[in-house]
Amino acid sequence: MKKLLLSLFIICMTTVFAVAQNKVPAVDKSPMDMSYYPAGYPVLKIGDKVTEPLAARVIYSRPQKNGRNVFGELLEYGKVWRLGANEATEIEFYLPVTINKVKVKKGRYTMYCIPYADKWTIILNKELDTWGSFRYDAKKDIVRMDVPVQKLTEITESFAMYFEKATAGVGLNIAWDDVKVILPINF
Amino acid sequence: MKFKKGCFLYVLLLCCCMGMLPSCNNENPSAFDKTVPKETATQQPPYIPALMNDSGYTPVDRSPMDMAYFPADYPTLRMNGINTGSPLARVIYSRPQKNGRTIFGNTEKNTCQYGKEWRLGANEATEIEFFTTARIQNQKLPAGRYIIYCIPYPEKWVIVFNSELFTWGLHINPEKDIARFELPVTHTTNTIEIFTMEFLPATKGANLLMAWDHNRTELPISF
Repeated sequence: MKKLLLSLFIICMTTVFAVAQNKVPAVDKSPMDMSYYPAGYPVLKIGDKVTEPLAARVIYSRPQKNGRNVFGELLEYGKVWRLGANEATEIEFYLPVTINKVKVKKGRYTMYCIPYADKWTIILNKELDTWGSFRYDAKKDIVRMDVPVQKLTEITESFAMYFEKATAGVGLNIAWDDVKVILPINF
Repeated sequence: MKFKKGCFLYVLLLCCCMGMLPSCNNENPSAFDKTVPKETATQQPPYIPALMNDSGYTPVDRSPMDMAYFPADYPTLRMNGINTGSPLARVIYSRPQKNGRTIFGNTEKNTCQYGKEWRLGANEATEIEFFTTARIQNQKLPAGRYIIYCIPYPEKWVIVFNSELFTWGLHINPEKDIARFELPVTHTTNTIEIFTMEFLPATKGANLLMAWDHNRTELPISF
C-alpha cells in the first residue's frame, strides 16, 4: 500500500512539474502603462505630427481603488509609497530639465511619493531597476518637491500618471481615488 | 481496513487537487478574466490611445503593458539585495489576448498574418534594452535600446531589431532595421492565451521566450 501511495505521489508530483513547465507569467493585477511628453508621442510620430521634441516618459503600474479608501488608509500618510505598484515607477528625461530649481540631467530615475492629507512629497531617486519602495534610500535622492493635493469631484479608479503642457514646461499629473497632484517640470 | 480507506481518501484528494491545478494556469480564460481590470471592457480599440474615460484620466489599456528583465525578476532580486550589479537586458511590451481568435494565419482575418510585420505585442512598439554588449547568432549588438518586431511564418519567425525608437507598433520603418534573425517555431498543444515574453536562463546568457496562441519560439542571446 505504501509503495502504491509513493508511486502515485511521484506521478502526481511529476504532473505538477509538467504543468509548472507550461506556465507563462500571468498578466499583472496592476498592469503597467507608459506616458510620454509630448502626450501620445508614439502615435504622433507615426502620423508625422510631432511638433515638439521628445522630452519625457514615465513607466508605472496601475493599481485600482477597488472600493478601498486609498489615502490615509491603504497608503499611510507620511510613509514612502512607490507611486504605482510592482516595479518602482521610472521616469526618463530625453533632455535636461529643472524640478524645484534643481537641474536634472537626461536619463532614467525612479520616483517615489510621501503622501499627506494636503500635500505630496514627490521624490526622484537614482536607484534604478528595483521593486517598489522597500529599499528606498534617501541618500540616492536627486530632488524632492512638495506639491499641493487637489480634491477631485470624480473618483479615479485606476492610478494614472500623464503629462500636460503647462505655462512653463509641463505638469506631470498624478491622480488616484479622489485626489490629484501636479509636478511642474521645466525644460 | 481503516488505514486503506484513509489512503484511498488521500489519493482521491491528491487526484482532485491535480484536476484543479490547470485552473491556476493563466492560459485558462476564467483565471485571466480576474486579472483584467473591468474598466477595459468599455475601452476603445487598443490602437487608438483613448485619452479620456469617465473620470477624465487615461484608462487602462486593453492589452496591458508588462516588463521582463534578465536576470529574471531582477527588480525583486535587487530589492532583496541578492543582485545589486547591473541588469543585462529588459523588454517592455504589451500583452494582447487571444480571446477566441486564431492569431496566426494566411488571411486578413488573422491578427498576425504570415509574412507581414507584427509589432510583437500591442500598442507601442516593443522595446528591448541591453545593458551590456549582446551577441545573437554571431552578430554583435551594442548596449542600448532597440525596438523589436516579428515577421511570422508557419514554421519560422523572423525577429527584427530596429533603431526607430519611441514609436507606435503599427508603423515600421525597415530602413532603420539593424539585424534579422530566423527562429524555428514550436507548435504547442496548450493554448497560450496572453502573449508572453520572458528571459529564460541559458548556458551563455538568456533565451528570450516569445509565445502566443499555439506558437512559441526562443531567441538565444549571449552576454
